[in-house]
Amino acid sequence: MADLRPILLVEDNPRDLELTLAALAKCQLANKIVVARDGAEALDYLYLRGPHADRVPGDPAVVLLDLKLPKVDGIEVLEQVKRDPAQRQIPVVMLTSSREERDLVRSYELGVNAFVVKPVDFNAFFEAIQDLGMFWAILNEPPPRLSYGT
Amino acid sequence: MSGVTPEMLAGCAAEPIHIPGAIQPQGALMVLSPEDGRLRHASRNLREVTGLSVGLGERLNDEAPDLLRRIEDWLAGGEPATVHVVDITGRPFTMSGHVTAQGAVVELEPVASSNTAVPHGLYGHVRAFLDRLSHAASLDAMAEAAVDHVRALTGFNRTLLYRFDEKGDGTVLAESSDGVLPTLLRQRFPASDIPAQARALYVLNRLRLIVDAGYTPCPVEPALSPVDGRRLDLSLAALRSVSPVHLEYMRNMGTQASMSISIVVNGGLWGLISGHSSGPHGVDAQVRGACDMIGQVLSLNIEARQQAEHAANRLRLGRRESDLLAALSGTEALDAGLAANSELWLGITEADGAAALVEGRLTTTGRVPPENVLRDLAARIHETGEQVFSTPSLAALWPAFAAEAGIVSGVLAISVSQIRPDLLIWLRPEIVQEVEWAGNPHKAVEEGARRLHPRRSFETWREQVRLQARPWSAAQIESAASFRAAVQNFLLHHAEERAELSDKLERTNQELEAFSYSVSHDLRAPFRHIAGYAELLSEREAGLEPTSRHYLTSIKEAAAAAGRLVDDLLSFSQLGRHRLASSSLDMNKLAAEVKRSLATDIGARVVEWEIGDLPPAWGDGSMIRQALLNLMQNAVKYTAPREVARIRVTGADLGEATAYTVSDNGVGFEMAYARKLFGVFQRLHLAEEFEGTGIGLALVKRIVDRHGGTVSAQGTPGKGAEFSFTLPKRQTPTGDTPGG
Repeated sequence: MADLRPILLVEDNPRDLELTLAALAKCQLANKIVVARDGAEALDYLYLRGPHADRVPGDPAVVLLDLKLPKVDGIEVLEQVKRDPAQRQIPVVMLTSSREERDLVRSYELGVNAFVVKPVDFNAFFEAIQDLGMFWAILNEPPPRLSYGT
Repeated sequence: MSGVTPEMLAGCAAEPIHIPGAIQPQGALMVLSPEDGRLRHASRNLREVTGLSVGLGERLNDEAPDLLRRIEDWLAGGEPATVHVVDITGRPFTMSGHVTAQGAVVELEPVASSNTAVPHGLYGHVRAFLDRLSHAASLDAMAEAAVDHVRALTGFNRTLLYRFDEKGDGTVLAESSDGVLPTLLRQRFPASDIPAQARALYVLNRLRLIVDAGYTPCPVEPALSPVDGRRLDLSLAALRSVSPVHLEYMRNMGTQASMSISIVVNGGLWGLISGHSSGPHGVDAQVRGACDMIGQVLSLNIEARQQAEHAANRLRLGRRESDLLAALSGTEALDAGLAANSELWLGITEADGAAALVEGRLTTTGRVPPENVLRDLAARIHETGEQVFSTPSLAALWPAFAAEAGIVSGVLAISVSQIRPDLLIWLRPEIVQEVEWAGNPHKAVEEGARRLHPRRSFETWREQVRLQARPWSAAQIESAASFRAAVQNFLLHHAEERAELSDKLERTNQELEAFSYSVSHDLRAPFRHIAGYAELLSEREAGLEPTSRHYLTSIKEAAAAAGRLVDDLLSFSQLGRHRLASSSLDMNKLAAEVKRSLATDIGARVVEWEIGDLPPAWGDGSMIRQALLNLMQNAVKYTAPREVARIRVTGADLGEATAYTVSDNGVGFEMAYARKLFGVFQRLHLAEEFEGTGIGLALVKRIVDRHGGTVSAQGTPGKGAEFSFTLPKRQTPTGDTPGG
């Protein structure tokens, strides 16, 4: 637990962002929370590109990813992450308004680690976010990084 | 009959009756060159009968100036040489002529003084006949007029009118007799009495006379025509010598003289007027002309009558057809539409039973045989490839159907689909008929030494005709054919409509999907935000005064309720699109799981559950779970006022289906509203009494409908409610078609 990696929250809606941050704050997690406002920015962060080129290297503890995003949407981000052998062990949790089955099916096909429909009931939402935050940021031990070419 | 070989029968039908090479001896025959009037053929009796001395290759000379003038006029294109009385060497003769490729055929018959004196004159007779005909109310009356006048004109002992049926058997419709010869009225003569080539000749040459069946044929010389080297064609000659078989037939019948006049209707031999005498009997050519005229007038009248009858029948059937089509235009499926209008369905062909085989479904009305017989029949008709199939005697075609003749003997069928073996079939039962034959028709021919001899017996012979239905009239067959065209249009139109509808549905579905997707993403979010901010506010402002706190709570609840409404609506709309993933479901497990999930709804309340042994269901797991959840959740919700809520979940195996019931001791409902319960947004309680979106039961119904099951509700206000649904068991996918 010494090395608390950040949580990457990808959310375009400012209200959802604010409410999600409030929920995460209630969990009193020690993890730093990095916010990306669209899919392109999320990928820049993960791949240390653009505005994130100079960030401290290392994978986030978990990516909380909204499904509907400008530029590059959540499904595309998920697809890129899970297709990349160097990234695919990063846990990705899909946060979405959608109860659409096709989104869920597609997400699981792509290897999403969890899929959470944002409940309208705010308390339920808090609970969900808290559970997720706790589980992925604290309890879930990341697998050891594989080294290639040896 | 064992000695009658097919060769012998074929020999009879092949007898070249139009080129006998001889004439009957009561007159003489000459064949002249139409170009130069030289004699090409002459009957051997020419000089004997007429006194003319002209030889072969010579021209007629001055010995018969009257005859010469008539022939010259005729061949020059003047008056037609029908029948004229000419003077030859001081004696009156009737002359008739016709031209063939082999020359101008001139027939001369001496005018017998006894035959010239026709009472009232020819004109008077024909006139009287026409009068009677114009007043004849029926075919029989017309036939009677014809036989009466032909007998009066000719003086035969007996005149008859036969009508041929489609098989060629003749029935005597009318008879006029002086009592010398036996009566043949209503009797039948088999088709074999008049061989095929004789029938063909009868259409061509409408009148035949045999003065004396005992005559000695008089040869016409030379036998071969100098024009084409073939035997002289006497098809149209009145004096043509007849087949010896026919003479024998006449003698067997006890008649020495006979005459027949063809009744040709629509180009076919419809019947005959015949005259017979026990002794030799001549008929003057002019009288024959008058008889021929009677025959022709009768033919025209019958034709007109048939056409009028046919038109009236078509009109009657056509009206029924258009009524039926009008009725069908409002129906979805052809067979259902026909069944709903069975009287018209039978009426368009005047049948006793009808069956429709449409897309493998068999629908019937009236008197029909068992389904397997009908399907067998349909398969055989389909195999014939006939678009309009009809028979008055099915057993004659396929003897296997004889057993069902009492219901199905007459069959009229139309194919209504290009691709499928779809058929509409009309049926008529057998009508057992007693027929009187003039002699046993099965012994129509008797064996002789070298050739066939006509039958000798004309004793009345009764026969029961079986396996025959009332024949289909031309109008009925046409009606069926016309209906076939209309039905094909109907099916085509429906197919197009269906395709269009399915396109439209597809588009609507896509729009709905896009709509619900956007609803699920965009409409839910604001409610979530409202609820979220209200929650954050109430946390921050812990010291809010009670009214403000109440307002904030109301905002949260309203937002949450709106959010649930969106979720429920969405589930409801998704149901229609969701593909069923059916499997066998352990309903005991499912009910237990649902019960556990209701813990938060129950909270501190006391609920006594009684979950019976539930039979496994066949269905989509998530959907059935949803249905059970909604029912059990309702039970929990509507028992809230009870100190102790009692909720029972029971099941039953109904054989073809399984049934599940959730009952409670809650507030119940009035049965008058039971029907409304399953509609979307139907609520029977105030929102403040019981929260809910009014979609739960509609969702249950939709789920159960999609599974092909049924839902029902029972309730008593203040006592409780009971909701049941059934689910059909799994269909065994063996691919067997019912009845196949």
